[in-house]
Amino acid sequence: MEKRGGRDASMSLPILSLPRRSLLKLDERLQLIIVAAVVGIAAGYASVLMNLGLEFSEHFLTSMRGYWYAPLFPACGAACAVFFMRNVIKDPGRHGVTEVIYSISKRGGLIRLRSSFSHIVGCLLTLGSGGSAGPEAPVVISGGSIGSNIASKLYLNERQRVQIVGCGAAAAIAAIFNAPVTGIAFALEAVLGEWTAINVVPIAIASVLGTEVSRALEGNQIPFLHRTFHVTNLDLMACLGLAVLTAISSVILLRLLSYINSKSAEWVPPRWLRAALGGGLVGGIGLLVPYALGEGYPCIRSVIGAQFPPGLILAGIAVLAKILATALTLGSGGIGGIFAPSLVIGSLTGVFYQRGLIALLPQLSWAGESYFGLLGMAGVTSSALQAPMTGIFLITEIAGGYDVLISVALVSVLSATLSHYFEPFSVYHAELIKRGDLLRPRTDARVLSELTVMELLEKDCHVVHPEMRLRELVRIIETSHRNYLPVEDSRDGRFVGMIHLDNIRPYLFDPGLYDTVLVEEIMNRDLDTITPEDELPEILHKFDETGSWSLPVVQGGRFLGLISKATLLDHYRKELMAQEAE
Amino acid sequence: MKNQLLHVFENTPFGREIFMQSLYFCKMTGLHLKVLIPNHPQFLMYFSREVVTTNLPKSFFTGAETAREHVENLVQAAGADASFVEPKGYTASTLPDIPVDFSFMTCLRAMSDLSSKLHLGYIGPEVRNIIKNAEFPTLIPTPIYKEWKRIIVFFGGSQNKVKALRLGIRLQLLSGVPMMLFTYAEKKPKTYYEEILEEHNVLSGIKSGGVEWLFAEKGHFKEVLYDVPTDGLIVAGAYGHGLIKEVLFGDLMEEMHALLPNNMLIVGPHYKED
Repeated sequence: MEKRGGRDASMSLPILSLPRRSLLKLDERLQLIIVAAVVGIAAGYASVLMNLGLEFSEHFLTSMRGYWYAPLFPACGAACAVFFMRNVIKDPGRHGVTEVIYSISKRGGLIRLRSSFSHIVGCLLTLGSGGSAGPEAPVVISGGSIGSNIASKLYLNERQRVQIVGCGAAAAIAAIFNAPVTGIAFALEAVLGEWTAINVVPIAIASVLGTEVSRALEGNQIPFLHRTFHVTNLDLMACLGLAVLTAISSVILLRLLSYINSKSAEWVPPRWLRAALGGGLVGGIGLLVPYALGEGYPCIRSVIGAQFPPGLILAGIAVLAKILATALTLGSGGIGGIFAPSLVIGSLTGVFYQRGLIALLPQLSWAGESYFGLLGMAGVTSSALQAPMTGIFLITEIAGGYDVLISVALVSVLSATLSHYFEPFSVYHAELIKRGDLLRPRTDARVLSELTVMELLEKDCHVVHPEMRLRELVRIIETSHRNYLPVEDSRDGRFVGMIHLDNIRPYLFDPGLYDTVLVEEIMNRDLDTITPEDELPEILHKFDETGSWSLPVVQGGRFLGLISKATLLDHYRKELMAQEAE
Repeated sequence: MKNQLLHVFENTPFGREIFMQSLYFCKMTGLHLKVLIPNHPQFLMYFSREVVTTNLPKSFFTGAETAREHVENLVQAAGADASFVEPKGYTASTLPDIPVDFSFMTCLRAMSDLSSKLHLGYIGPEVRNIIKNAEFPTLIPTPIYKEWKRIIVFFGGSQNKVKALRLGIRLQLLSGVPMMLFTYAEKKPKTYYEEILEEHNVLSGIKSGGVEWLFAEKGHFKEVLYDVPTDGLIVAGAYGHGLIKEVLFGDLMEEMHALLPNNMLIVGPHYKED
């Protein structure tokens, strides 16, 4: 006979059974650390693959940039990316980071396996051909998917799976930017949304290992290394103005992206054509302002190296061109992230600001363009992501800019605060919040999302019928411990109303009415009802609206039971305690 | 949602037959039918450990404007209790998440594969994926509407088959039709299976309830299937140890489907009894 409880072992691949069995014997924290290490290494490889692919496509296409048909490259790339995602791999997922946050928030960290590579291929097609986007969103979902699927195969519980998805995201960001601390900050701040000690250790391990893989295969390079700055108090004061300007840049970027995203489907319904047109326009912009194309790292290097072509107006045009190109690429359906474009827009905003300061106050001595370029990167990234810690660590790591930490922190925090006033949610969270899909741990919405109507259903109700006389009703009330009695049609069993004790109170002390008053005369027909599919926040809203303490649950005209406020609050407290215990 | 059967409606004559099978199942068991009229070519089901993506063929979108009306007419004609499923969560704007907390789900033998593969005896990979991950049993009806007059539980002795047996007993109680056990002995004596039933406290009920037990000791599996009545709803476990694990997801399962013209209710490894 089959060994009881042997089900789990029979379901997975034999190759996975042995490590899983051994793993299950370990302490939970040690389990997580081991899995985090594996996921970190795998996500690191995914990021390296992405980087190599981008380098190859850049090398391949650079020689062809001069041809008349070069502007068509982004159009073809974006159309191919959409075709690949929708028709070949059949993964019409949303923005990579948003999908990872959605899965953590609503789906216990479950992400499809195909997402571990589909977004990378889609992004290579989009960015490699010149589209204006970043590689970080695809690698984040790739890392998240790797983590999610490994966690599922190893039968980790939901909370552990969520942590491992965070590990994958952290390792991917750390590897793609060669910035381990940024990976940790990003995973905790933007993805998981909570800084807890239990999260930090596995995420830190994954992040470090992801970075090490990247360093081992691509070398330990600081992408935007800069010279030492001589920063005066005047420059620090100037940071305030730059924070305002970077906040404005990020708000324009987010609003334009949102506008094109929402309108492009109306303007051009076919997705591939929409992406192609968006890509074509980007190609056109690229003809006039080449800095707007691709992920834009060469542009940042020229800013940090103080080699950006002179001219205040040119810098301003470059900022607007990059914002427009990014909004067109991503808003029309191209695959990629907003991280890298934010860095480019920020660096150009910094240059524009510095040149503006020189033009306005030529008698004063200002720090160089590269200083303001770095600060601009921190400001726009922090604002667009609404994640100032990520912005601070990213700039200090990718530019080796620990000497400007104070200025970076100042611009990041101020810019994020200012932009929050106009755009309260990050590009990753806005769509989820709009749909009510962002449920952060231990929040009211999260606790309620774990409860279902059927869990709260109270079935021990005495059912009465419309033709019953008050005398019978009083007898039932004597034996019932509830204040509410559902009324069902005696012929077809359909729910027709409810009786509350208050409805019969006026007649209770007049026995003369016992045989003359019928249930149908005193019952409440105009009732708010609940269906089993209703979600708890809606139900709470109904309780508040109606002032009721109990509401009937009805499905297909049949009474299923009652939900009471007291039971709901009792379950809420238990669920909250369970989540706190985790 | 407990006591509900999920049906993904295909607005074609073939889809109508399958839908009528679901209606009949609900009517016999008193379940509430939840009907999904798909608006997108894919949907996701987030099970406890895996996300199953189901790709629907174009036939599911035939006459989209009449689908709702057809469902309502069929439900009314059958006098069944039904309502529509409206997806609330979306992984992407064109990728709805379908709830997974139903008691049963109806699947075509191949829900989303090429029509060339859609023949008797073929279970598509996505249907297998649903069976593998779902906490509910999966109803795989015959392509033509067929009422069942009894419940036939394929009992092989494993944990999952015991679950299937309990489900069969529950269905028998709900529907009031007779139940029958079918066992392919696999070189083990009948007492071995009786001990398992005794261990699970169902043997006495089976004996006193007059449940017929078709116990096949000789012959190849394909040959003994000949004795299985064709008017029964087969309830079988999948992914257990031993025979059915090999049978259901190997070539033999294809043969079983090809040879048996019965409606089937498959209990997967993650099935949770109510």
